[in-house]
Amino acid sequence: MERTVVKIDNLVKRYGELTALDHFSLEIKEGEILGLLGPNGSGKTTTINCLLSLLSFDKGRIEIFGKEMTPTSYDIKKEIGIIMQNVAVFDELTVYENIDYFCGLYINDKAKRKEYVEEAVKFVGLEDFLKFHPKKLSGGLLRRLNIACGIAHKPKLIILDEPTVAVDPQSRNKILEGIQELNKNGATVIYTSHYMEEVEQICTRIAIMDKGKKIAEGTKDELKRMTRNTETIIIEILDLPKAIQDKISGLPHVYKADYDDDKLTVYCSGGKHNLLRVLDLLQKEELSFGRVYSELPTLNDVFLEITGKALRDKEE
Amino acid sequence: MFLHELKYELLVCLRVKEILIWMIIFPVCLGAFFKMALYNVYEKDIGFSTIEVAVVENSPNTALHTVLDNIEKQDDAFLKATYTDKEEAEKLLQNKEVSGIIFSDAELTLTVDGKGMRSTMLSDFVKTYNDRQRIITEAVKNDPVSAQAVIDELSKDISTCTEIPLNDGNPNYYVQYFYNLIAMVAIFGSLTGLHITINNQANLSALGARKNCSPTPKSISTLASLIGSIIIQGGCMVICVTYIKYVLKVDFGSHLPLVYISAFIGGILGVSLGFFVGSIGRIRTDMKTSILISVSLLSCFLSGLMVGNMKVTVQKNLPWFNKINPAAVISDSFHCLDYYKGYDMFITKIVTMLVISAIFMLLGFIMIRRKKYADL
Repeated sequence: MERTVVKIDNLVKRYGELTALDHFSLEIKEGEILGLLGPNGSGKTTTINCLLSLLSFDKGRIEIFGKEMTPTSYDIKKEIGIIMQNVAVFDELTVYENIDYFCGLYINDKAKRKEYVEEAVKFVGLEDFLKFHPKKLSGGLLRRLNIACGIAHKPKLIILDEPTVAVDPQSRNKILEGIQELNKNGATVIYTSHYMEEVEQICTRIAIMDKGKKIAEGTKDELKRMTRNTETIIIEILDLPKAIQDKISGLPHVYKADYDDDKLTVYCSGGKHNLLRVLDLLQKEELSFGRVYSELPTLNDVFLEITGKALRDKEE
Repeated sequence: MFLHELKYELLVCLRVKEILIWMIIFPVCLGAFFKMALYNVYEKDIGFSTIEVAVVENSPNTALHTVLDNIEKQDDAFLKATYTDKEEAEKLLQNKEVSGIIFSDAELTLTVDGKGMRSTMLSDFVKTYNDRQRIITEAVKNDPVSAQAVIDELSKDISTCTEIPLNDGNPNYYVQYFYNLIAMVAIFGSLTGLHITINNQANLSALGARKNCSPTPKSISTLASLIGSIIIQGGCMVICVTYIKYVLKVDFGSHLPLVYISAFIGGILGVSLGFFVGSIGRIRTDMKTSILISVSLLSCFLSGLMVGNMKVTVQKNLPWFNKINPAAVISDSFHCLDYYKGYDMFITKIVTMLVISAIFMLLGFIMIRRKKYADL
């Protein structure tokens, strides 16, 4: 049976009148990449800060590796690697010195530390920037340095709090691949983000948060099964008669058909070959159409269905 | 872990540009400015201690002779009289061979060529002499029996007044500017102290948060930072004193090692002040920096580093404040070396600095001891 690495039980955290965490519970098993997904202000970072014993909380209990987590749980802290949302490195130190400094807070043995630091440098691909100061690095390289500082001591539990914010796509992919590799090497990972694509790409299990509460939890397939919608078909079409639209709405597994702005959107729930059936009907009615595409449900659809609002703000 | 923290604290401090600017470049520039602007004035005005004066007597004045002879007999006598006639005296004054002419009649009168420290001292001497001559004349007239006692007492007082140098330091007015400069650099050490709390408090910086997540106890991390900052600040103080002494060639008298000690301990006081202010509550970092700069400048201002008479004013109204004001205590420790015989007062000031530093550090540690934060 898989060991429970993190157990958060009934956590409540209030900032005055605002309840940031509202009886939040979560269990993370060894070897998982757990994605903590939620819009900005949903309580992800507060959860992480409570987990790390940086923040006090009003109610609840946190256990890591089977022991209660407190600010003086140094034996537990030794096994945790943290990559903060804000880059936390010394501007005055070089890339190598920064990694060595943070690794040295965990590893006393100099020879072992040197080996670990070199491995971390290779892992994030900063070999050519060892003598650079952080201010000379691009945003993506800086994020990689931030990650190297957090994982150099080879922790068993790695917590990444939105590590790809303001990172270019190339660096983002490199970071995500790196996280998967760390997981393959045995680390349990907690990954917070409001980018659902990232969470879908790397996480083995996902917990969705909103307003300090866990609103859904499971694998991405389990979560998607929570929605009525299983497929959305979009067809560009000119002048669709209302009668045809109604016929489409009546097809098997179609629960809704909208026509707006020369676009027909067909929402399906279950079933197979839904697209073929819709196209067949349009051909029979001798209607010409343009581009056709089909979308599978996303985590945003899950969030939308549960909360009635989009996961990500429009400007994001 | 401690040595690892200490090593990197030293490395970081050495590379912080603000420290380089305020602890080294600033005193170097300001010291050079003081040297150029003030030291030449000193050399010209009171660089040598004896003031040459011509004395013109309408009739022989034995009392004046006695007083001047007594003054001239002393080591480091501040006056040297040349007895001559009026014409010769005026020639001497014109040729700047004397700083003034004392005319002896019923009272003394003085002619000087221009203003300056020497003219002021001669004027003070003539005024004091005339005042005392009047008192003695009155005493002889009114109470001849006790007149001799009055004469003895006033003569003794005149002799004491001339013994200005009380120790082996350099009590000249211009050296004080350099002492004040050293004190100011020590107080600027508070910026180094502030940086300790910022980098170690989870609620003040991301770096602090990351360090708080590590298995290195906060007490060890903070202590290493504090010691590292004190070492760097101490180094800056040594550079500052060495530069003033050996590059600007300012004479600190025979107490140079004590000046170094005092400057180093002043640096500790500065760092601990910054550490204390940095530890107070959850105020934004830029706000704390502003508070610290204001506190430092106010401390320097009230200790007379900017306005000469301020310390006297504070002493009159709030005498206890001068005893705890960091900048006043640091500058006083230097002054003690020049103005007090023996080292009792100097030791008192050093102990005061150490006690204030210990209190600041203790309060700082108490305030940052908190392990969890209500808000980040």
